[in-house]
Amino acid sequence: MFERFTKDARAVVLGAVEHAERMGAETVEEQHMLLALLDREGSRGSFALASLGLDRQKESVKEALAEARRRGGLSRAEVDALSGLGVDLSEILSRVEEAHGVGALGADGKDKGRGKGWWSGFIGGHRPFARGAKGLLTESLRIATAHKDRHIGDEHLLIALTSRPGVPAEVLADHGVTYASLRRVLYGGGEAKAG
Amino acid sequence: MTEATDLAERAGDRDPRIGLRAVSALRRLLEQLEAVQVRSARNQGWSWQEIAAELGVSRQAVHKKYGRQ
Repeated sequence: MFERFTKDARAVVLGAVEHAERMGAETVEEQHMLLALLDREGSRGSFALASLGLDRQKESVKEALAEARRRGGLSRAEVDALSGLGVDLSEILSRVEEAHGVGALGADGKDKGRGKGWWSGFIGGHRPFARGAKGLLTESLRIATAHKDRHIGDEHLLIALTSRPGVPAEVLADHGVTYASLRRVLYGGGEAKAG
Repeated sequence: MTEATDLAERAGDRDPRIGLRAVSALRRLLEQLEAVQVRSARNQGWSWQEIAAELGVSRQAVHKKYGRQ
């Protein structure tokens, strides 16, 4: 599959690994893919984002991602579902942060603060992709195939990101970037909406 | 009011989609809360054995999951 990735799509995948490393994350996740997509310039994906006005809102997107990390990476849909059960995440969050410091819930599970030992160089080289990020790569292939595009570009990664539930799609939608709006700017109007 | 809250209020726990999403969110929340508590216990000098006993799991299980430091 990777041989079909364009230069820009490969750069996004490598960039996502770098973002994950920089943030001390155990795995490469969809949020890291989004951050790497924002870094691209002169690609089809960045063209699509710019035509939806996102090039001027990158900082806002990054802040929204950071805020989502702070509440444990749960999407708003998940927070609402919890609240339907009577579980108030903001209450839990404030108690956890009171006892363990701001950002405690979003910190990576595996003893991040103390664990930066000699081994971290090795681990860094083999940072696995989380299930969601793998699914995203597969989905981008499916989308490219459906459009009879021979290559998988960063625009396919972007569309795939908006087609899957979760924090990245929510944050993008809050900034006017949705599955439908992306398809409109990339493939022209009048197409059937998401299946 | 968001769509999910609306749905939850209208359908209570009868809408499987909301119910399942809540379960999955709880599971993720649980994992993170566990990580916070284990980290805190380790920082306060607790042994893996003591942590495992409180969590009701084997020492090996908790060490495999959070060890490596």
